[in-house]
Amino acid sequence: MASNKKYWKSVEELNENSSIVASLEQNEFNEGQAPESFLGDKETLEASSTTRRDFLKYVGFTTVAASLAACEGPVIKSIPYVVKPEEVTPGIANYYASTIADGFDFANVLVKTKEGRPVFILPNKEAKGTTNARVNASVLSLYDSLRLRGPKVKGNTASWSDVNGKITAQLETLSNAGEKIVILTGTLASPSTDALIADFAKKYNNVSHVVYDAISESAALDAFQEVYGERALANYKLEDAKTIVSIGADFLGDWQGGGFEAAYAAGRDVKAGKFSRHIQFEGNYSLTGANADKRVVLKPSEQAYALINLYNAVTGQNLASKKTPGDAAIKQAAAQLKKSGSKAVVITGIQDKNAQLIALAINNYLNSEILDTTNVKYVRGGNDAEVSTLIAELKAGKVGALITYNTNPVYTLAKSADFKAGLKKTKLTVGFSSKEDETLNEMQFALPTPSYLEAWGDVKMTASQYSLTQPTIKPLFDSKQFQDCLLAWSGQTTSYYDYLSAYAKSDVLGDKSWNTTLHDGFAPLSATVLSASDIDVTAAASAFKSGIKSGAFELTLYSSVAMGDGQQANNPWLQELPDPLTRASWDNYLLMSKADADELGFSNPIKDNGAINGQYATLTVNGVKLENVPVLIQPGQAKGSLGLSYGYGKTKALKEEMLVGVNAYSIAFGGSQVVSVENTGGDHLFACEQLQHTIAGRHDILRETSLEQYQHGHAEEWNPRPEVSLKHQETDVNKVDLWEDHDRSIGHHFNLSIDLTSCTGCGSCVIACHAENNVPVVGKHEVRVGRDMHWLRIDRYYTSEGDAITDNKKTNSASSEDSAELYQKLETPEAINPQVAFQPLMCQHCNHAPCETVCPVAATSHGRQGQNQMAYNRCVGTRYCANNCPYRVRRFNWFKYNSNDEFDFHMNDDFGKMVLNPDVVVRSRGVMEKCSMCIQMTQATILNAKNEGRAIDVNEFTTACSSACATGSIKFGDINSPEDEVTELRKDKRAYRLLEFIGTDNNVVYQTKIRNTNEA
Amino acid sequence: MSSHYEAPIREPLVLGEKSYHDITMDIVKPIEGKANKNWYVAFTIALVAFLWGLGCIAYTISTGIGAWGLNKNIGWAWDITNFVWWVGIGHAGTLISAVLLLFRQKWRMAINRSAEAMTIFAVFQAGLFPIIHMGRPWNGYWVLPIPNQFGSLWVNFNSPLLWDVFAISTYLSVSLVFWWTGLLPDFAMIRDRAVKPFQKKIYALLSFGWSGRAKDWQRFEEVSLVLAGLATPLVLSVHTIVSMDFATSINPGWHSTIFPPYFVAGAIFSGFAMVQTLLGVMRKVTNLENYITRLHIEYMNIVIMVTGGIVAVAYASEFFIAWYTGSPYENYTYMSIGAATGPYGWAFWSLILFNIAIPQLLWIKKFRRSFIVSFLISIAINIGMWFERFDIIAIVLSKGHLPSTWTRFEPTFVDVGIFVGTIGFFFVLFLLYARTFPVIAQAEVKTIMKSSGEHYKQLRDGKNEH
Repeated sequence: MASNKKYWKSVEELNENSSIVASLEQNEFNEGQAPESFLGDKETLEASSTTRRDFLKYVGFTTVAASLAACEGPVIKSIPYVVKPEEVTPGIANYYASTIADGFDFANVLVKTKEGRPVFILPNKEAKGTTNARVNASVLSLYDSLRLRGPKVKGNTASWSDVNGKITAQLETLSNAGEKIVILTGTLASPSTDALIADFAKKYNNVSHVVYDAISESAALDAFQEVYGERALANYKLEDAKTIVSIGADFLGDWQGGGFEAAYAAGRDVKAGKFSRHIQFEGNYSLTGANADKRVVLKPSEQAYALINLYNAVTGQNLASKKTPGDAAIKQAAAQLKKSGSKAVVITGIQDKNAQLIALAINNYLNSEILDTTNVKYVRGGNDAEVSTLIAELKAGKVGALITYNTNPVYTLAKSADFKAGLKKTKLTVGFSSKEDETLNEMQFALPTPSYLEAWGDVKMTASQYSLTQPTIKPLFDSKQFQDCLLAWSGQTTSYYDYLSAYAKSDVLGDKSWNTTLHDGFAPLSATVLSASDIDVTAAASAFKSGIKSGAFELTLYSSVAMGDGQQANNPWLQELPDPLTRASWDNYLLMSKADADELGFSNPIKDNGAINGQYATLTVNGVKLENVPVLIQPGQAKGSLGLSYGYGKTKALKEEMLVGVNAYSIAFGGSQVVSVENTGGDHLFACEQLQHTIAGRHDILRETSLEQYQHGHAEEWNPRPEVSLKHQETDVNKVDLWEDHDRSIGHHFNLSIDLTSCTGCGSCVIACHAENNVPVVGKHEVRVGRDMHWLRIDRYYTSEGDAITDNKKTNSASSEDSAELYQKLETPEAINPQVAFQPLMCQHCNHAPCETVCPVAATSHGRQGQNQMAYNRCVGTRYCANNCPYRVRRFNWFKYNSNDEFDFHMNDDFGKMVLNPDVVVRSRGVMEKCSMCIQMTQATILNAKNEGRAIDVNEFTTACSSACATGSIKFGDINSPEDEVTELRKDKRAYRLLEFIGTDNNVVYQTKIRNTNEA
Repeated sequence: MSSHYEAPIREPLVLGEKSYHDITMDIVKPIEGKANKNWYVAFTIALVAFLWGLGCIAYTISTGIGAWGLNKNIGWAWDITNFVWWVGIGHAGTLISAVLLLFRQKWRMAINRSAEAMTIFAVFQAGLFPIIHMGRPWNGYWVLPIPNQFGSLWVNFNSPLLWDVFAISTYLSVSLVFWWTGLLPDFAMIRDRAVKPFQKKIYALLSFGWSGRAKDWQRFEEVSLVLAGLATPLVLSVHTIVSMDFATSINPGWHSTIFPPYFVAGAIFSGFAMVQTLLGVMRKVTNLENYITRLHIEYMNIVIMVTGGIVAVAYASEFFIAWYTGSPYENYTYMSIGAATGPYGWAFWSLILFNIAIPQLLWIKKFRRSFIVSFLISIAINIGMWFERFDIIAIVLSKGHLPSTWTRFEPTFVDVGIFVGTIGFFFVLFLLYARTFPVIAQAEVKTIMKSSGEHYKQLRDGKNEH
C-alpha cells in the first residue's frame, strides 16, 4: 500500500500561491550562479564585503592552520618486549665475564649490561683482571657511530654471501697458481684462531701468518726466544720484589703489554710490611718515573751505556762501555740489587734484542725470583723481521693475497707508502676492521668485524690462564667475525662459536666445563717450565754498544696513557682524558726539556683565558720530516731527550673534533732515534687542565714522607693534625664546632680512602667515572678554557726543589721572608728532575660542606649516608657552590652537552647515547654537577641485600672509581661497619684529609704518600 | 624644613637673583621645552648600547653561560663584579636623601632627586645580574620563598644570595617609594602648568592627586621623615649583605670580617663618585649651574675623601693581615704580594692607582672645588671601584686553595656587551628621566631660598648693590 503521506519542505508551502514554491517546482535542480556573473561584474565585486585583503587573510589562516595540524609531536620509539628474554629485566643489570684482546690491550673484564646494552666495563677480579683507561673506555667504542656498517667491495656496499663467494673463488685461483697468501694480524693471542689459521693453511697453498704489533716489542720477544726457546715475554712478580731497577721501561704504562701496576702496588704495601725500592733511569718523564722512589735522568743513548755499566757493576765484569752522568746512581743501584739478591729485578725498555739479553743476564746473575719465565706473557707477538720481509715482498709484487685483521698498517707503519704501493700490486686484498680505517680504505674488500663486546673468542694472555670472550649484545651492524669468514673460506660450515667451543673442550679445558669457563671468563692452565740456554753477554754487549746512536736530540716514541696505539682515537672519553704527567688532552706533542726549549726558543705561555699555547717544531728522522709538532716543555725531561706519543694524527673514520695531533708512527723506525729539531714558530693551542704545576708551598695538600720516617718517626712529624685556637688552647680542628653534630652512628656512613702511595696516576678511575655517571665530553676548546667536566680528576704536582721532603722543609722555613722571588721559586717546578705526586680528587663529601650553605635554593644538601648530594632539577645555576668549594670539584653545564651539534660527541648521536647509564640522569644546561659517590651504586647494593634478605657483606659497597682501581688505591666503604676496610683506613696513622684546617670534615680520606728513600 | 637663619659667612646654596618663579621655570624648562641635538645623540648612543646588551643577554640565555669567559674554577667574574659595582653606585642616593635629611643637610636638596634616580636606575642594572648569571634564569623565581607545589621545597635561608634577594628588593622598593614621595609636589607643579591635556593627564596620575593643601604638606614632611628613618639602615644593610656573599664564604681573600664596613664605605665612595660624574654633566647641559654649585661639589668631594680613606685603610689592613697570618693560603689574595706580582698585577695596580692614589688630589682645595678635576677624579673612582670588585672576585677565584685549580679569566664579547648594555640602559633611563622628571627637588629648594639663596642673603645682609 502506497503511502500518501506528504512531507513538508517549508512553511512556505502552506501558501498555495507562493511564487517561490511555484518557481522551485519548475526548477527542481537549481543551477548555481555562474562565477562570471559576479566576478565579471565590477560593481558587484566592489560591493562585496569580502575584500581581496580579507581573502588573503583567510587563505593565510587556513594554510597556517592546515600546516599546524600536519605537525606531529616527536615520536619516541619505545617498543616493549613481545617475548621478554629470561635474563633481561628492565632496571636490573646483568654482568658477563669476557675478555678484551684488541691487539694492544688485553684484560679479563666483566661487562655490565643494562636492558641488553653493555654500559660499563669492570675488571674481572677473580681472573686477576685489571682495566686501564682504554679498556674502560672500550664500551664507548662499541657505540662508535662511524663504525663500518656492512661489507664493502672497492668502496661499494655488498652482501656477505657475495663477498665470501668472490673471495673464496679468488683464493682458490691464487692458491692453484701457487701465489702467496698472507694473513697479517695484530697480536691475537687466541689459540683457537691460530688453529683456525692452520686449518685455512691446509685448504690453500702457500699461506703464511705474519704478526705485527703497531708498537713493537719484537726486541724483547727475540731475546726471550733466543734464551728460552719460546716467542713470549717474561713476566715479573713485582709483588715480591725488594729492588726494581728499570732502565727506560715504562712498566706502569704499556711496556710489554702493561698490567703490572697491581703487582707493583702489592709490593709496596706498608701494612703488609714490604716496600720495594724502585729506581728508574729514563729520559722522558713516564708514569713509571713519576712513581719511582728515585729517578735518574738519562737520555736514551746514555741509558744504553748505563745498562752495560749496570751489568758491570753487578757482576764485576768489565765490558766495554762509556761513562754516563748516571754512573754514581748506577753503582748505588747495583749495590741495592745485590743487597736484595734474588728479590731484585732489572728491566729495560730499550728496543734492542741485545739490551734485553743483558737485562736477562743481570737477572739470571742475581738469580732473580722476580723474573718469571714460567708464567710467560703472550700479549705481544709481533715480529719486526717478518713484517719487513712482507713489505718488501708486497712491494715486489710477490704476494697474491693479503688479508689483514686487527691491525692498521697503513696508519702505523713508518713505511706506509711502500705498503700502500705493495697493495696495488697484490691481486686480492681483504681488510677486516670495525672501522673503515686508513688500511681498509686501501683494500679491495673492506669487511666489518664486530667489537669484542659482540663477538666470541678465546685469549691466552699468560701461560697459566685461558680466557674467553663472549658477546654481550647482538651485533649492531652487519658485521662478521674474521674467524667466521676464515671458516667460510676454508669451506667449513660450522660457526666460529661451534669451532671455538669444540676447540676449547677438546684442546684446553679438560675436565672443566665450557659453561663454567664461560661464566667465570677464564680457566687456569698449567704452565710448563722453560729451560734457559746461556747468554753470550760479551757478544751481546759489543753488538749492542756498536749499535748505540747518540746525537744532540734523541727521540723516544711512547704510547700515551689515553690513546695507546691509537685504535680508539674516535673515542671522545679517551681524547678528553688528560695525560697524567702533562695533564694535556686532545693532543700529542713533542716533550722537551726546559734547557733545550730555551736553546731552540720554545715556550709555553699561559694565555689570559687560562690556556697554554706553544710553537711548532719540524722533526727530521732518517730524512723523513714530521711537521707541525707542537712542543710542550716537560720538567724532568733529560736534556737532549725528546718524547712523542703514538696514537694521534689519524685521518680516517674520525669525527672532525678528533682529527688532532700528528702521526708519530710516520717516523717510527724502531727504538730511540737521533733527530733534528727545527722551531717553525706558530701558535699551537693546547688543552691543558693544570696551569700551576707545583704545590706553591702548601704542603698540607699533598703529604709525603719517607719509608724511614714512617717506620721510625713520629706520625705527628710527618702527618701533623691541624689545630685551631679554642679558648686560647690549641685544639684539634675536628673537636671545634659551632654546632651540635648530627648522630651519624646509625645507618651507613660512606667514606672513600685514597692511598697516594699506590695511586700510579693511570686514569682508569677517571674513565670509569665518565662511563658510570654519564659525564659529558666537552671538546678541545672547552677543555682549553678550563671547562672540562671531570667529576674525578688526578692532580699532578711537581716539586719546586729536589724531592718533596726537602721541598717541604725549605719552603716552610722560608715563609718568613716573603718576597716576589720566593713566590717565583715556589711556583716554578724544578726543571732538571722534579719529583711527581698524583692526587685523585673528587667531591670530598664534606660533612660540613661549604657548598651546601651558600645555595639559595638548597639544591645541594647533605645525605643521611655522608654524601653531599646534588638535586639537578632544583639547581638554578648560580655557581656560588663552586666558588665556595675549596677543592673546586663542582662542574657547571656551561652549554647543553647532549643532542647539540656544537658538541658532536657520543651524546649527540643515537649510537653513542646507548652507552649512557640509565641509572644516572643526563644533566641539562645551566646546572651544577659533581661526584655523587656513585649513590646509584650504593643504593643498588642496599636494595639487593634487602631483596635477598641479608646483611650487606664486608666491603660490598663500591663506586665506579674504586672498582676500576687496579692497585687498590681507592677504597670505598661504610665506616659504620667495623669490618669494612675503609673504617681502619680512616683511622690509619697515614690518614689525613684535604685542607682539614678549614673544618669541612670530609668523607674522603687520603693516605700519606711514602717513598722508599733508603739507599743500600 | 622651614627656613632658618644662615650665617652670612656660609656660601649660599642657590646662586643668582632667583625668584620662586625663576626656579620653577629653570626646573620645567627641559620638560616643557624641546630636547636639543646633544640629548638625541646621547640617547641614541645609550639606546644602541642598551640594545646591544639586550642582544648579548638573549644570546646568553639561549645558548648558556658558556657564552661568557667563566670556567670551572672562576664561577663568577664580570657578572657579579658588575652587580656589586651597580649596587655600590646605588648607595649615594639613599645616603643623600635619607641620612642627610636626618642630619638636616640642606645642600642635599639640589642633588637628592638625581642621586636617587641614579640609585634606582643603578639598582635596576644591579638586579639584572643575579638573574642573568643563573644557569637557568627561567627558574629564578625559585629563590623567592613562595609557597609551592614542588613538594616540601623551600629556599635556603643560610645562603647570602638569598639575603641579597631580600636586601636588594627591599632597598629598591623603599628607595622607589621615597623618591616618588619627594616627586609628588614637583609633579603636581608640572601638572598645574601643563597645557597639553595628555601631559596634564599623565602628570596628574604621577602626582597622585597632590592638592597642595597644608595637610598635604604636613603629611609629606612626616612621610619623608619616616621613610628617611627606614632607609637609613638600608644604606648600611644592603652592601653589608652584598659583602657577605664573600665574607661568609671560605675563600682566602673573601673570608674576611672587615668586609661589611669596608664594602659600605666603598659603596658610598663609588656612589658619590657617580653622582659627581652625572651632575657634572647635567648641571652644564640643563643649565643648573646656579643650583648645583661649587659648594655642592666640594661637599661631595669631602664625603668621597672620608669614605675613600676608609677604603684605603681597609685595603691596607687586608694586605697586612694576609701577610701577618703567615699562611701560604693567604699569599695570593687580592691584596697580597702574590696578586701584585701575579698575572693580575695590572688589575691590582689599577685599583691602587684609581682608588687610592688619584683621589688624594682632593686634599687640595683648588681641585676639590674644580668642576673639571672633580669630574675626572670621579671617573677614576668609578673605574677603580669596578676594579676593586673585579680583583676581589677574579683574583681570589683564580688562586684557590689548591694550586692545581689556579687559572685565569678572560671576558668574551658577551661579557663586555652585557656590561656596556647595562651602562646603556642606565643612561637610557637617566636621559629619559632628565627630560620628563623635575631633576631638582624644586619644592624643597624653594624652602631654602630665603635662608640660603644668594639674592635673599644679600638683601638680608644689606649688601644689595642694586
